[in-house]
Parts: sequence; C-alpha cells; structure tokens
Amino acid sequence: MSGPNVWSRSREKLRIFPELFAQCGGEAAAYGKCVAATTTGRQELTRDLCAKEFEALKTCFTNAAKKRVK
Amino acid sequence: MSSRLWRRLQQELNQASAASPGSWTWTWISSSSSCCRPRAGLRSEPCRGLSGSSRGTMNVFNREMKKRQKNWAASLQDGHQYDYLRDEVGGRVADRVYDIARTFPLALDIGGGKSHIAEHLSKDVVERLFLTDISESTLVRARRQTEIPTHCILADEEFLPFKENTFDLVMSSLSLHWINDLPGALRQIHQVLKPDGVFIGAMVGGETLYELRCSLQLAETEREGGFSPHVSPYTAVTDLGNLLGQAGFNMLTVDIDDVQVHYPGIIEVMTDLQGMGESNCAWNRRSMLHRDTILAAAAIYKEMYGNEDGSVPATFEILYMIGWKPHESQAKPAKRGSATASFGELSKISRPNNTDKS
Repeated sequence: MSGPNVWSRSREKLRIFPELFAQCGGEAAAYGKCVAATTTGRQELTRDLCAKEFEALKTCFTNAAKKRVK
Repeated sequence: MSSRLWRRLQQELNQASAASPGSWTWTWISSSSSCCRPRAGLRSEPCRGLSGSSRGTMNVFNREMKKRQKNWAASLQDGHQYDYLRDEVGGRVADRVYDIARTFPLALDIGGGKSHIAEHLSKDVVERLFLTDISESTLVRARRQTEIPTHCILADEEFLPFKENTFDLVMSSLSLHWINDLPGALRQIHQVLKPDGVFIGAMVGGETLYELRCSLQLAETEREGGFSPHVSPYTAVTDLGNLLGQAGFNMLTVDIDDVQVHYPGIIEVMTDLQGMGESNCAWNRRSMLHRDTILAAAAIYKEMYGNEDGSVPATFEILYMIGWKPHESQAKPAKRGSATASFGELSKISRPNNTDKS
C-alpha cells in the first residue's frame, strides 16, 4: 500500500483501472452500444436499462482485478 | 480597494525600475477576503462579487477550493507533463501579441500561473510584466523563465488591486473560465487598461469536454437514475462578443480554436485535468463518483467517441478574444451622409489595367 489513507488507496485503484478495463473490451463495447442506442432511438434512458450488460462488464472487471492480485 | 494598497504598489513600481533586467520581485497583496468591506458578512459565506451590481452576480465556483487545487497541482513532482494545453494556448496568445506592431511598456498577465505566455515574448514587445495568480505555489515554485522583468502578485482575478489606466496590455490565458462574475471581471480589466490599451484573452468555452460531460451524464443516469453536473458551465462564443461590448471594449475580435487531445481512456482524461489544476470546484458539485459509474462512463466514452486505435478524444474549444479600450485615434464608423460613392455604381467600376501599375 502506498499510504494508509483512503485518498492514496483510491488513487492506487484508479491507477490500475485502465489496465483492468483493457481486458474487458467486449463487455464494455456491448454495454456502450446499449446505452448509445438510447441517444439515437426513441427510448429514453432510465435506470438499469442496460443492467444485464453492466453486470457482465462488472463481473469481467472484478475477475480481472482478482487475477491481477494473484 | 484601500489607498494604502495603491501607495505600496506605487512604491513597488518606483523601486522596480532600478531592478536589473531578467530579475523578478515579489509583492504580496492580500487575497480577496481581506479586500472585502467589513460589512460583507460572515467569512464562511461564499463572498459575493463586489464589482458591479450584486443583482447580476452569480456565485458558481468555490474560489477557495480552486486555490487549493492549483496549489496542489503546482506542488506535484512531475507537474510539467500536464502543461501541454497551457503551453500551446500560451504560444498562440503570444502570437496575437506579436501581431500587434507595438511595444507595451507595462503588461499584466491575469491568472498567468506558470507564465506560459511570457515564455514566448521578448523584451522588445513587452518591457515589464505583472503576473497575477490566485495560487501562491504556482507563482513561487513552478514559474517559467522569461527575459522580461516580472513582478509576481498574489491576487484574485475578480478583485484586481490596480489603479485605473495603468496597463498598456492585459493578457489572460485559460483562467477566465473559473471566474464567478465574468462581466465584472471584464469591466475591471477595462478599467485598469490605459486608453488605446488592448486586452488579449483565451478561455475555454463552448463545447469543451462535451465527450466527458455526456459520458458521465449517461452513465449516472443509467446506473443511478439521475445525474449531477461534473463539468463546469462554459461561455458560448456568441455571448462573448456581448460580454466584451458591455464591458466597454471596442474593435472586438473573437475566434475559436478546436484542440482535440487523444487519451488512452477516461481515467487519463480526468487525471490530466486534475494535474492541470482544472478539477471541478463548482459549489453544486457532487463530492464523489461511484465506482460503478466510473466503469460505466469508461465503457460509454470508448464506445461513443473512441477512435479506431482505441484512444478517446477530448475536445477543448479555446475562444480567443481581443478588445481595445476606446481612444480618439481608433477608427470609427463613418458619419451618416459622408459617402462619396454609391453601391449602385459598383457595376461601373472598371478593372484596373495591369500595365498601368508602376
């Protein structure tokens, strides 16, 4: 740990975010497409409209984080 | 403004004329809170602008927070890697200064920070420079070298501690977008300028960072059901002409420059903005961003705006403005009835014969 407080722990997590995010390109693209579709289509964006895609993305992300710790 | 402040500044100016070229001297004029009249209310209350009518004053930004953010950014070890945007815009403002074929004995750089503009200027264009900024660390630690003798002053852009008709040139690069009372600040700039003095400014405006704004907005809506502003409100280019005109400037020139910077992802965009000292400091900002929202925003940003090579663009729309303080020598519109030719005679004008030219 680079420091004992929340600030330095958060910054450390943000620092490795891009690395983990890069491993979930497919899920991220699916989620992004789902949300982007609402900007052009007639359907308004409401809460949890793309919950399924987001859950897939989040699972991929947390798995990547677990793999990295190992 | 107290007269004591002015007398100290006069003394400073007299002393500084004896200073050797290339040197800089320090003047600390206390920041806005002590310049307030005692009746201004509690210290903890956000200070309303004293310049101009208080009815039209907005209080959008927490100036105290902005000072802390800039101090933090200036104290970074590798802070110079975030200076690319300021350097670029500073160079372009310096170009505009060179375009005016005059020598300016006394110039002021408002919110100049690390002095990105003066870096590109030479002594035959500007003879003496006053550099103000709200952040002490930037002025002390991170200032760039320039051959122009510079005085550093710790002052808020909304409370300029200078007498009327002092400066021949006022410059500002990328600091006006954090000012609460922009009309008031422009009026103060107009005041401190000498007649036939010029104000050259560059500020971010219009559609800056629209990609970041939209990604965060969509992510927050989808994940949390609502959204709050994360990117500060900007001045539209159409409003800028009106603002300058109302402040009393003449012969306005406003133009836009679109700078697109490509980043690996949304986290790098936000880290760089923080390193530049450009973090959000609006009063209505939310103090946190959920990790889910960040993840969602990263995915949306990449999908909606990403390039083929995987990078994402961030747009900075820089508005450049030039305004002159009125003076009799400036060109005025011709008087009514003084026309010597009519538009109807345009068809009768013959083409000039090239062989006649000497």
